[in-house]
Amino acid sequence: MYRLFGGFGKPKNPHSLENLKHLYNVLLKNKTVTDNNRGLLVEVLRSITEILIWGDQNDSSVFDFFLERNMLSFFLEILKQKCGSYVNVQLLQTLNILFENIRNETSLYYLLSNNHVNSIIVHKFDFSDEEVMAYYISFLKTLSLKLNVHTVNFFYNVHTNDFPLYTEAIKFFNHPESMVRIAVRTLTLNVYKVGDKSMLSFIRNKTAAPYFSNLVWFIGSHVLELDACVSNDANNQNQIHCLADLVAEHLDHLHYLNDILTLDISDLNEVLNDHLLNKLLTPLYIFSLIPDDQLKPAQTSKPRMSTIVSLFLLSQVFLIISMYPLVRTLTEIILQGSLDIFEHDEDSPVSNKLIIPSFVPPPKTLEESLDSATTPSTSIVSTTESNVSNITDEEKEQILAQELQTGFFFETIIKALSCEENDHKALFALCLLHSISCNKGINQDLLAGTLIAGPSEKPKYNTRLVEKLIEIMSLSCQPRSGIRLVTLELTIALLKRLVVLNGRSILQDAHFAAVIDAKEESIQLAQTFFKNDDVFLDTFEDEYTDMKRKPLNVEFLMMDSKILLSPSTTCTPLTGIEFRKRLPCGNVERARRAIRVFLLIREFSLMLTGEMELQLPLTDRSNCYQVNSALDFNNADLIHCIFIGKDGIKAKRFLVIDSTHLILIEPDSRLGWGIVKLAAFLQDIEVVGDKENPQCLSVTMHHSTSGALTAKFIFDDHVRCMAAKQRLTKARTIARVQKLNQLARLFDLPVQTTHSSPGSRMFFRHPRSGGRRLPGFAAPIKVPSSSFAAAKNGSSNGHCRSLSSSPKPSTTYCPNEDIPLENIALKTINPANVASSVEEQSETSNASSSQDAPVNDTAEPSDLETSFSQISVSSKKTARRKGKVETV
Amino acid sequence: MSYAYLFKYIIIGDTGVGKSCLLLQFTDKRFQPIHDLTIGVEFGARMITIDGKQIKLQIWDTAGQEAFRSITRSYYRGAAGALLVYDITRRETFEHLTTWLEDARQHSNSNMVIMLIGNKSDLESRRDVKKEEGETFAREHNLIFMETSAKTAANVEEAFINTAKEIYEKIQEGVFDINNEANGIKIGPQHSPTNPNLPPGSQGANQSGGCC
Repeated sequence: MYRLFGGFGKPKNPHSLENLKHLYNVLLKNKTVTDNNRGLLVEVLRSITEILIWGDQNDSSVFDFFLERNMLSFFLEILKQKCGSYVNVQLLQTLNILFENIRNETSLYYLLSNNHVNSIIVHKFDFSDEEVMAYYISFLKTLSLKLNVHTVNFFYNVHTNDFPLYTEAIKFFNHPESMVRIAVRTLTLNVYKVGDKSMLSFIRNKTAAPYFSNLVWFIGSHVLELDACVSNDANNQNQIHCLADLVAEHLDHLHYLNDILTLDISDLNEVLNDHLLNKLLTPLYIFSLIPDDQLKPAQTSKPRMSTIVSLFLLSQVFLIISMYPLVRTLTEIILQGSLDIFEHDEDSPVSNKLIIPSFVPPPKTLEESLDSATTPSTSIVSTTESNVSNITDEEKEQILAQELQTGFFFETIIKALSCEENDHKALFALCLLHSISCNKGINQDLLAGTLIAGPSEKPKYNTRLVEKLIEIMSLSCQPRSGIRLVTLELTIALLKRLVVLNGRSILQDAHFAAVIDAKEESIQLAQTFFKNDDVFLDTFEDEYTDMKRKPLNVEFLMMDSKILLSPSTTCTPLTGIEFRKRLPCGNVERARRAIRVFLLIREFSLMLTGEMELQLPLTDRSNCYQVNSALDFNNADLIHCIFIGKDGIKAKRFLVIDSTHLILIEPDSRLGWGIVKLAAFLQDIEVVGDKENPQCLSVTMHHSTSGALTAKFIFDDHVRCMAAKQRLTKARTIARVQKLNQLARLFDLPVQTTHSSPGSRMFFRHPRSGGRRLPGFAAPIKVPSSSFAAAKNGSSNGHCRSLSSSPKPSTTYCPNEDIPLENIALKTINPANVASSVEEQSETSNASSSQDAPVNDTAEPSDLETSFSQISVSSKKTARRKGKVETV
Repeated sequence: MSYAYLFKYIIIGDTGVGKSCLLLQFTDKRFQPIHDLTIGVEFGARMITIDGKQIKLQIWDTAGQEAFRSITRSYYRGAAGALLVYDITRRETFEHLTTWLEDARQHSNSNMVIMLIGNKSDLESRRDVKKEEGETFAREHNLIFMETSAKTAANVEEAFINTAKEIYEKIQEGVFDINNEANGIKIGPQHSPTNPNLPPGSQGANQSGGCC
């Protein structure tokens, strides 16, 4: 039948059984590949795939025919003719498409059933051709994605003990092309994941030892490259790029190892752990912790890296890998191990049996080992190895138990915390200790009292370590200190783990006193930078926000290759290194650093004493008025204006200034109420007049309910504009002076020092209100003059505590002021009556002093608009507040 | 086989947005989408010409490997360009873009060129994400944007080629360190266009871009 069809040229419908039959005939006629039929064959192969996929989805007879005629064998025949990459690549891609797109499980079984696919896998392609290599490895990867407990039997042959898909792929584990290596890793993980018992035992017995020993050697060689790159002093862009790559590469390795380990295949993990510990982590990483002068002569020739790199890489290990036996053993070695693990000791009967961990190249390349894997010797080697490793583990524990007090490496790490020269080594030592302390895979009993607070019955901690940490803390408070912020942050983070148990400090009195001393030093340091100006206030608030927003993330820190560079070479902002990770440059940055040191230590000492933070933040910006909330503005002064925001859209609004906020409202349906449309803290605004338009103000808000923005306010006339400008400017100054005073109190500075500041100039002009700010001001007596402000803010001092209640209409408003907002609008309000302590000051003081405020109270009579119920309101206010405010 | 540069791409995005179909459509136009047949592939290479230079694109689909952190990490790192694909008929695929982008930015080198692709533009009647939304997202995140259809091949060429152009420009500006293969860029074998290992006849065949 088909022959008949096949003879009649190409059928019209490309997706049909007929066409497949036709193509079959073409293949039959072109069994030998020549230069002439190459193109034809490629197209035939491609068309066959298309029909097969169509058949898979539409017509099963297509697959039947394909199998009946054994068409895959044609593929093999073509391959065997070594006809060049053009045909081979198409063939591989055809197979890729085929296996990728087949949905029908039965079709898949058919395709795999006759071992042709395995023959294709073991075919020796020309792997020197980049293109062939890429398509080949993609083909293997695609197949691995199709693996499951059923299909695995087509690839792994129990009888011949043969698994070409896996063994062929891992031969490329160290291919120079990264994408090829990734494909190999994907494939291995997909294979392990299947979880077929007999297949896994094949992998364990035949391939695990060769593969893992080669893999750890490969990783180790990257590590040595990394070390060479760090110690190379070139410090140019190339070095930085190279370093970044090698660090990322190391992380990739660790993530890959972790991905294998977390699949939790015990047989496999046992071998992998053994190799990792005895052939990489101990003999290379931990060995490198030994100081040069303590090496035995025989050890000096062994491959080593610098202590800094070794601490850095070990931190990465503990940050990424948390599988129990591996990290536990490693922790035991670090905390309790001695130098003996690297030595044959003839006297000790136990260590005779030990295999000395050593970083040496694998005896054979992976390919050689796999090719000879059929001989039983390899399998014996791998079992002996694992037996030995079992003994090793047990014996090691015994030894470690004896040496519990030794802890050579732990001592080395504690010594590394000394920051005589700089904090370069200390930072990584901290990272390592912190990541061990936080590692989930390590038994808490092992760490309790050493790297975490505990045990709960009888809490203790390592005194030497804690003293070192407090020493770093104290050093960081010295002027010109060489301790970077990140080091201090990490020191505190580690201290918290060491001495805080269930939220309570277990610190001994002497150590606690040392922390308090450090805190005092940090205050002194901050004092030296304190300036009574806007810049300092902004810097302080920025640093606080930044500290809260970006808490230290050790994992991210350990991904940054730049911290490997010596801190002395990276202390300018030009290096692109984050501020906290480098030393400050210039006075501005030194001030920032001092503030941050102060904040960090303050937070820690408050935590130790179990006190609540009552003075910070200076401004809780989340506590601003909420947009669209309705408030009672009956007592407030409202100034009508046109508001032009970022988008350029004009909106009619009323401007209200209370003791802390600038608010733009829209009248509500309720009389005297308004809807908040925009609010900003007064301290965050800057007001500039518009030269072109005397009715217009340009207001920049660095923070507002609509983010940072610059907006234009157009008032009804230039007089109101001037008035608004003055009130805003003054209110801002006062808001800032209050903040600076809060700050001065925080820094244990007398508040009077503010006399030299711009703020104090204002006091000078307002002697009566200035009186309030003399020492007595330290008590929270500042009472906002407007009742709604009072309800919202309580006192400026207790700000952060009392403000948990969100803005809401105050119950203390004068209920009998039933003046409709619209009416207020028509009249436009006397600036002097605006609801704020500022205004109250103005009320009481402007008349006597202010010359720069002609439109304020003094100008009042000439202003056509008079305040609604001015007299009654102000008299009421005075009456109500007399006891509290009029202390002047 | 000779090329001036080789750029490695990855394709990312939710499953079912048509990543592998885009890839096949670009690398092998001979697969014409008929009969409602969806065919895709996970890897493909093709030669293109930019500025008179032969540039080879290697495109790796990362589908199905999300379970392993090491794999996604490494893929991102090894690529010079990424096509971030969503399906215009399924809003959730658009909503997941932020997560994809965060991942990409975290793991890739900072110079990686990312192109945002709204795929299945042929299914206008079932559209669930407006073109403007895609444009806005791209603008906000500094990506190039395009709507494509793997079905009708609309814009598929452009998507891949524009990404390549962007990478090429960055090379010209000296942003990419081309000597560092970890960036997903490789300089072609300059010494000789003929690879002695290859049998005759394999040359030139690839240059048509049609081999696959």
